[in-house]
Amino acid sequence: MADATLLNLVLWLPVIGIAVIAATPRGADSWVRSLSLAVMLLQLALTAILYVHFDPARAGLQFVTSRPWIAAWGIDYRIGLDGINVLLVALTAFLGPLVVAGAFSAIQKDVKLFYAMVLFIQFAMLGTFLAQDLFLFYVFWEAMLIPMFLIIGIWGGERRIYATLKFVLYTAFGSILMLAAVIYLVYSLNATTGIKSFAFADLYGSHLPLHTQMWLLAAFGLSFAIKVPMVPLHTWLPDAHVEAPTTGSVILAGVLLKMGTYGFMKLGFPLFPEATRAFTPALMTLAVISIVYGACLALVQTDIKKIIAYSSISHLGYVMLGLVSLDLVGIQGALLQMVSHGLVAGGLFLMIGMIYERCHTRDIAAYGGLAKLLPVYSVFFSILTLASIGLPTTSGFAGEFMALLGAFNAAWPQHVAGYDLPLVLAVIAVSGVVLGALYMLWLAQRMLFGPVKALHQPLRDLDARERAILIAIVAAIFAIGLYPQEPLRKTELAAREYQQIVMSGRGHHGSLP
Amino acid sequence: MSWHDVLIAMLPENLLLAAILLLLAVEIVSGRSRDGFAIAFAGAAAAAAAACALYVHGYAGEPFPGHFSVGPTAFLPKAAIIALTLPVLLVSRDDFAESRFYVLLLSSLYGACLLISSDSFLTLFLGLELMSLPVYVLVLLAFLRPESTEAALKYLVLGGAATATFLMGASLLYGASGSLAVTAFSSALGSAQPLAVAGAVLVVVAMMLKAAVVPFHAWAPDAYQGASVPVTAYMATIIKAGALLAALRLFGTTPVVRPMTDLLAILPLASMVWGNIAAIRQSSFRRMIAYSSIAHAGYLFYAFLGEGPGRYAAVVFYLIAYGVMNLLAFAALPRSIDDARHDELDALKGLFHRQPFAALMIAAAMLSLAGLPPLPGFIAKFLIFRNVLAAGYTSYAVLGLVASYLGIYFYLRVIQYMFMSAEEPSAVHGRPRRLAFLASLLCLVPAILLSVFPGWLLDRL
Repeated sequence: MADATLLNLVLWLPVIGIAVIAATPRGADSWVRSLSLAVMLLQLALTAILYVHFDPARAGLQFVTSRPWIAAWGIDYRIGLDGINVLLVALTAFLGPLVVAGAFSAIQKDVKLFYAMVLFIQFAMLGTFLAQDLFLFYVFWEAMLIPMFLIIGIWGGERRIYATLKFVLYTAFGSILMLAAVIYLVYSLNATTGIKSFAFADLYGSHLPLHTQMWLLAAFGLSFAIKVPMVPLHTWLPDAHVEAPTTGSVILAGVLLKMGTYGFMKLGFPLFPEATRAFTPALMTLAVISIVYGACLALVQTDIKKIIAYSSISHLGYVMLGLVSLDLVGIQGALLQMVSHGLVAGGLFLMIGMIYERCHTRDIAAYGGLAKLLPVYSVFFSILTLASIGLPTTSGFAGEFMALLGAFNAAWPQHVAGYDLPLVLAVIAVSGVVLGALYMLWLAQRMLFGPVKALHQPLRDLDARERAILIAIVAAIFAIGLYPQEPLRKTELAAREYQQIVMSGRGHHGSLP
Repeated sequence: MSWHDVLIAMLPENLLLAAILLLLAVEIVSGRSRDGFAIAFAGAAAAAAAACALYVHGYAGEPFPGHFSVGPTAFLPKAAIIALTLPVLLVSRDDFAESRFYVLLLSSLYGACLLISSDSFLTLFLGLELMSLPVYVLVLLAFLRPESTEAALKYLVLGGAATATFLMGASLLYGASGSLAVTAFSSALGSAQPLAVAGAVLVVVAMMLKAAVVPFHAWAPDAYQGASVPVTAYMATIIKAGALLAALRLFGTTPVVRPMTDLLAILPLASMVWGNIAAIRQSSFRRMIAYSSIAHAGYLFYAFLGEGPGRYAAVVFYLIAYGVMNLLAFAALPRSIDDARHDELDALKGLFHRQPFAALMIAAAMLSLAGLPPLPGFIAKFLIFRNVLAAGYTSYAVLGLVASYLGIYFYLRVIQYMFMSAEEPSAVHGRPRRLAFLASLLCLVPAILLSVFPGWLLDRL
């Protein structure tokens, strides 16, 4: 039963959910909550079926749907799973029910609109991952903006308007230049080959001169680098994270930030391979700066959410490092690190939300000795802290280690040939692991241990709903940490293909249906 | 010319004329002011249906050779602007019940229809004036506020200047070519003759004045603010469309060369930048829409930079998408007793909690005007910039896109007011009106269709 129809159903389920919510009369909040959870759980179940039936031995797209949408321009409604997006689709579907359940008690205002927006952003995110047509991709990419704008702006903290406008204006600026590049790219494909198409597979084959590639990669890359975010384009992220409600932070850290690295991997680098190779030293430098700078900033924060926000910048730096290393281990590590970061940072933001609901502050100084007051909470928090550091047996270890290994693998031959920059950068990147351990352990120490601080009320420990959410996340973290070969099996062929396209510069997706 | 041709080819115009005459006759016979809404709406609906039927039928004809011709490329935009008038009529029902309002509105619409089909400068001029003159009075009709008088006068004076410029340009073109046909303009575009070039420039300037392109935009904010909501909606959509369709008639598919390129790139670009920046400071909804319409006039004139064949599709699709979404916002705007209060952006604060449907409609309209996908405004913007890029003006296209980015903020601010602000104590608590609700549904259906199946319309352009 796993076929293209099922994939379409996975994508469009949230839209059906929104339609039902819109028809619900006002005041039926608990019905809206259960409905959203049911939609997300069904989506997860269907995605699991697709994941199991995804054939790792087949290159190219699976479960493809391709229908003309705007025939006059060669735009298709074209979606499908491949080795690059399969893990991210699974991650998005996995986080969906957790995000919905995590907001049950926190969101009491405009409940209908809230869940409609959560379902809408779920739809847009899945669409962005699944789209195999550049126009469709752009539509989904931009469609993510509006629900996030409302989620931060309506249900956010005190400075929510500032934060949400900053988020939208940053990302929209990148998108506008990407739009110019999209139009230019498609037009030049049409002008040189006569093909009227927006399909990724066709665009990979466009042979553009190097200087054009550089401009276009700069335009695409700006948009993606803002989303990742890479230093120095990161300043929207801490504001957005701090002001966003828990749901917003989890979606941001869990899935939205991966859009940038996914965009580089799926579009930016393979579309412009020569330019990518020319930009590699610059991209690597920026990735390493992001790793170290993000970690240093995380060290000095007093707001718990800000620490995790800056740690995201650092962790996504490893993803970029792995992607530009063009080493198979590094690329695979980057993919794994994306999923791992989604789980770990998503889980940490959920936990911050849980403690915030109890104590109404995110100031680290207000906390202390939580291990005595909230033993269950503290256990989960410690596990997520260790996963964030990248302790072996957790998913964070596999991803970060492989990304770094890839960077060294790629740097060594160059070092032998007398070019030292990549090796120096890789060595600096390793220091990010140490800094990561420092700020996370210090955070855990200050919050969980030490003398008990006087908090507002007697605290109740996690309830069954919260425990269920965290057990799911922790189980996934250990599953990937202990058996990384299972997800890696699904991505291997795609990673090879990506490596081959970018290294050889000959875009060629012959196996596509 | 046979009477039969005139009857069929001008059927949409004739139906409008019949409605106008009927309105006048009923008023004269009954001897008192009467509600003319039903006649006007029926007349416009019939005219729109007639234009659609003639389009589907593929009818083409030349009832007045050399002056007036029709064909599918004329019937489609004609059907669109007449259909766009229907929501305007529905919205206006609560403010204006007298026949004179509808007579003026339909006369103006008649003028717009005329210029879409004009082949000579005579009919084009006739259409332009017939379209504009009633609007001067319509602006004045708005509750007779002091601002309305000022607005109408400003509009009249600058409209007169546009008329004079147009006539001067047309006479220069006549002097250069000896012909009154609109093709004299397109051949002047590539000409080296100073007289012809001067004539063409003057005609373009007149069109820019009518469409409110920087630096000929100063009348728009005052006129939009002074007029009542339905008249503002009419000016922002149908009058703008009329001016652009007239320009389309003139340019045809002739490629634009220097020095006309500079005029057609720099002024619209300035329009986009200034319109989008000035809109940020506005506290009046109508003034904000005025500046937004100045920016949109810039995007629309950009289309003429592009390759000839894609021009028609780009302009007509843009006008339809822009018109539908603008009218959607005006139809959903909450009603109040006091027209000036009605207009303040602050009155929209917390609207989502009072009238969620209206707030969602206005939000969709704002996002579409901002050009965000998947709304029709995005496809329209895409079409324009694709044409500009395809014609080789890469840097102009990038600058234009960046200028359009500047506009995102003030559209989002409206959404911010409606969804994220606490309700003001003085907020408007009007009941939703049934006819205006019908008008927003009338706009919502094409808006959804254009978002989901833009290809359907694009295949027909």
